[in-house]
Amino acid sequence: MATSGCMGVANLLRRAVAARASRALVAFATSRRLLRTSPPSRAFAKELFLGKIEKKEVFPFPEVSQDELNEINQFVGPVEKFFTEEVDSERIDREGKIPKETLEKLKSLGLFGLQVPEEYGGLGLSNTMYARLGEIVGLDASIAVTLAAHQAIGLKGIILAGNKEQKAKYLPKLASGEHIAAFCLTEPSSGSDVASIKSRATLSEDKKHYILNGSKVWITNGGLANIFTVFAKTEVVDSDSSVKDKITAFIVERDFGGVTNGKPEDKLGIRGSNTCEVHFENTKVPIENVLGEVGGGFKVAMNILNNGRFSMGSTVAGMLKKLIEMTAAYACSRKQFNKNLSEFGLIQEKFALMAQKAYVMESMAYLTAGMLDQPGFPDCSIEAAMVKVFSSEGAWQCVSEALQILGGSGYVKDYPYERFLRDSRILLIFEGTNEILRMYIALTGLQHAGRILTARINELKRGNVTTIIETVGQRLRDSLGRTVDLGLTGKLGAVHPSVADSASKLEENVYYFGRTVETLLLRFGKTIVEEQMVLKRVANILINLYGMTAVLSRASRSIRVGIRNHDHEVLLANIFCAEAYYQNLFTLSQLDKYSPENLDEQIKKVSQQVLEKQAYVCAHPLDRTS
Amino acid sequence: MRPSRPGVRGLPREYMRQLRLREIKALSRSHAASWPLGRNSNPRRSDSPRKSRILTASLSAAVPLQAPRGLHCSAAAHNSDSWLVPPWPEPRKGPTKALTLHEELFQQTLEGARDKANFVRAVQNFGQHNVHKRGHVDFIYLALRKMREYGVERDLAVYNLLLDIFPKEVFRPRSIFQSMFIHYPRQQECGIAVLEQMESHGVMPNKETEFLLIQIFGRKSYPMLKYVRMKLWFSRFKNINPFPVPRDLPQDPVDLAKLGLRHMEPNLSATVTIYQMPSSKDSTGTADPTEPHIVGIQTPDQQAALAHHNPARPIFVEGPFSLWLRDKCVYYHILRADLLPPEEREVEEIPEEWNLHYPMQLDLEYGRSGWDDYEFDIHKVEEGPVFAICMAGAHDQATLAKWIQGLQETNPALAQIPVVFRLAGSTGELLASSSGLEEPPPPEGQEEEEDSQQRQQQGQS
Repeated sequence: MATSGCMGVANLLRRAVAARASRALVAFATSRRLLRTSPPSRAFAKELFLGKIEKKEVFPFPEVSQDELNEINQFVGPVEKFFTEEVDSERIDREGKIPKETLEKLKSLGLFGLQVPEEYGGLGLSNTMYARLGEIVGLDASIAVTLAAHQAIGLKGIILAGNKEQKAKYLPKLASGEHIAAFCLTEPSSGSDVASIKSRATLSEDKKHYILNGSKVWITNGGLANIFTVFAKTEVVDSDSSVKDKITAFIVERDFGGVTNGKPEDKLGIRGSNTCEVHFENTKVPIENVLGEVGGGFKVAMNILNNGRFSMGSTVAGMLKKLIEMTAAYACSRKQFNKNLSEFGLIQEKFALMAQKAYVMESMAYLTAGMLDQPGFPDCSIEAAMVKVFSSEGAWQCVSEALQILGGSGYVKDYPYERFLRDSRILLIFEGTNEILRMYIALTGLQHAGRILTARINELKRGNVTTIIETVGQRLRDSLGRTVDLGLTGKLGAVHPSVADSASKLEENVYYFGRTVETLLLRFGKTIVEEQMVLKRVANILINLYGMTAVLSRASRSIRVGIRNHDHEVLLANIFCAEAYYQNLFTLSQLDKYSPENLDEQIKKVSQQVLEKQAYVCAHPLDRTS
Repeated sequence: MRPSRPGVRGLPREYMRQLRLREIKALSRSHAASWPLGRNSNPRRSDSPRKSRILTASLSAAVPLQAPRGLHCSAAAHNSDSWLVPPWPEPRKGPTKALTLHEELFQQTLEGARDKANFVRAVQNFGQHNVHKRGHVDFIYLALRKMREYGVERDLAVYNLLLDIFPKEVFRPRSIFQSMFIHYPRQQECGIAVLEQMESHGVMPNKETEFLLIQIFGRKSYPMLKYVRMKLWFSRFKNINPFPVPRDLPQDPVDLAKLGLRHMEPNLSATVTIYQMPSSKDSTGTADPTEPHIVGIQTPDQQAALAHHNPARPIFVEGPFSLWLRDKCVYYHILRADLLPPEEREVEEIPEEWNLHYPMQLDLEYGRSGWDDYEFDIHKVEEGPVFAICMAGAHDQATLAKWIQGLQETNPALAQIPVVFRLAGSTGELLASSSGLEEPPPPEGQEEEEDSQQRQQQGQS
């Protein structure tokens, strides 16, 4: 009964989506025309590195039309019902696998082909819609990870880089869930370091097949999948006729033979998802199954990973909203000293924190999704990485605080809270660890700023009068301590007056961030790549700035449109902006030269000594010299 | 019973200051010697002439002066435990009555083993034979000299026992003048000698020592001063060596070699391999030329470097070089290559598609500004890489060739690389004067070289 109901919903949605698609096509055509005349859109985050706010990109907060909203709500309802009523997360966690009937229902709901274009049997959802559904899928982490591995990275390669034949051959079955996809990149010796990939594909004698050999580890869906996106080294003849090893992406079916997988890993969290090793032994892959170009696998992998990240924001926000409901119910019912827990300040603080984090990550996620949905395939990889870093860390922090509220009940298996904690730990690690993503955020931005700065320095050297006057004037104005105005506030400003204070805080931060970036580039030049602690700070500031922008944009829209409870949003936005502002000020001062707040040198020394001894260095406190 | 306060303070201030300074210097010097630094540190060498001069200057002339030994006359240095103990009297030249008597006390125990129990018995016998403690200073000096023989030179209880021989309360200054002009200098000096010997063996005095010293010499006395300074500086110097060597070195040459190799290679991921155990028929393991021990160490990095070595360039076995571990000298050999000429060095280039997640280099034209470059302008001499270190029981080419053969098991690349043996005969100037040598180096006079052909034959065999 339930299955047929779901099918009905999916069909209904498909029809609705088809109708929308025709409209979207029209919109796309118009926007394309616009694209030709308007200058190419600049990415928001990159401009922040220059101390500028690209208002057009982030104000106003992206909206969806009423029709789209109705459609998605029609779809969300049954999925939400299914997740709250039928998915038994406790059982999935205990048994370490998702039951077959649950998987079948997920397939029948169409959740396996959310972003597959409609012509290939998927739902063709926009990024915003995808994010909205992610909120519900996030209620069970194992299912969320299984689905994400399938469609955010597993089959994404075919959508992004596949040719028509490949799409037609594989996407329909993947969209229906008949086949499950997996993404095989990591190897025992190779994480982010692609150069050390050992898997190898050699062209057969008849030049019709590649013979694939190698082992991959930590492959989500490795045991379930029928279609693998595999990255392996191939010999490529370079333009200067030298032979080089380059990465190539392949679509590998399990039926090609020689594909085996190990037993599922016993994990801390997301225990229902299937993670295992996958081995390829003399697997014959037809040359039609090369994804993208031969030797172009690196770009394919990068695109897939950069595209798959933004959805974590909404997924985590969905989980947090649920968690707030559950813990609030507890705090309002448990009595201590004749008072509800909810009356204690230290408990209230934790709820405010959870609400604030959820609000910020939601805003960031939907802002990014909106930017991604703009025509012209904008590059929002920095923004997506920031959403991932912020939401994963927010999730860990909030779940930890929630457990604090719950006390002992949070620690036992009778309640779901400890599962939330275990599940959320992986968020900081997979899809690029947060450390690596911070490097990505900082370095990509610095690269952009560096190019522009170099151009300006060259102009200065050449003696361009306007540039010189500009530079000198800027220095003069800075030394006079002018107030920063980047045009967010004021009459007809981009933000509403209720959050104007926060907006000027953002402006000040952005401006001085730009100056600091300039100084850093002048100080370190290209050796800044080695200064990871500096880069981490740059990334932290940028994440805060993006969060501030997102909440300001969202809160301003909410007030102006008159959204329910917008005063609450204003509160949250102002709290977050003030906190982030002071954090940024501190971090900026740490980035100054000879800053007393900056303890990097000492920290490096300590770790150096610890690592040299590979042990804790200090003597025992009870030791004596005599 | 409070000791008279003005005691030491009564001495001329300048004089006291010098005394203190010198004693601190002497103390720190002897400390530095008693914890030899691991890397090629010098053997302990007593600087007796200088100190005895200090003593002459500082203490009154009542001290029986020994003839100042020449600066290089350190032959006795390694067996004399302390500068304050008078040198061993020539036994034939009319020994005094008291000395023979005390000697007998130790002679009695000679039948038994030379251990702590017998030493303690000898000391106790002295107390029983000599109720009035006549000649106790001579006896203490004698006992101090004997301590090493009995293996009790690091036993605090024995030192306290020795101090206990002193009659109590007799030598305590009772007036300000007594403490001003050193009271019972000979006895005070003997007390200092005990402490000095403790110091040179790294024995920290304890509360009992303090109690005894106060009982014997009083609070304002030179032994007490010495005690206080020992308490102060011992704790500060005890852990000053960042490369500590265990106090008791292993006797087994293989274990000693392992220790020495670990000492030279701070990298904890290095593996020590015993390529050959010493043959069992010869217990020393060094005299037998066929089966000396061979112990080597190599880090994974060194292995990788050796694997990448260009086989056209020979590598060298060089040595023996000396390494001092406390009072023992061991010899090691290294396997090294010459520095590559600049034109052959591969420039380490960053591959284009290396890091999936973030750029490994920025596309900028300029590097670090001068203001942020904290590297000192040091002229560095670059050296070729060292691939492995070994310690062997014998330093001849045959033994070392076995080491190279053993290395080939973990470093297959070594089979293709010609190895040249450059074994020097002399190992430095420190050899003759030390008694703790493992063995004298082989008397190979000239540099020995083997051409690559011969080497490759060996590799095949």
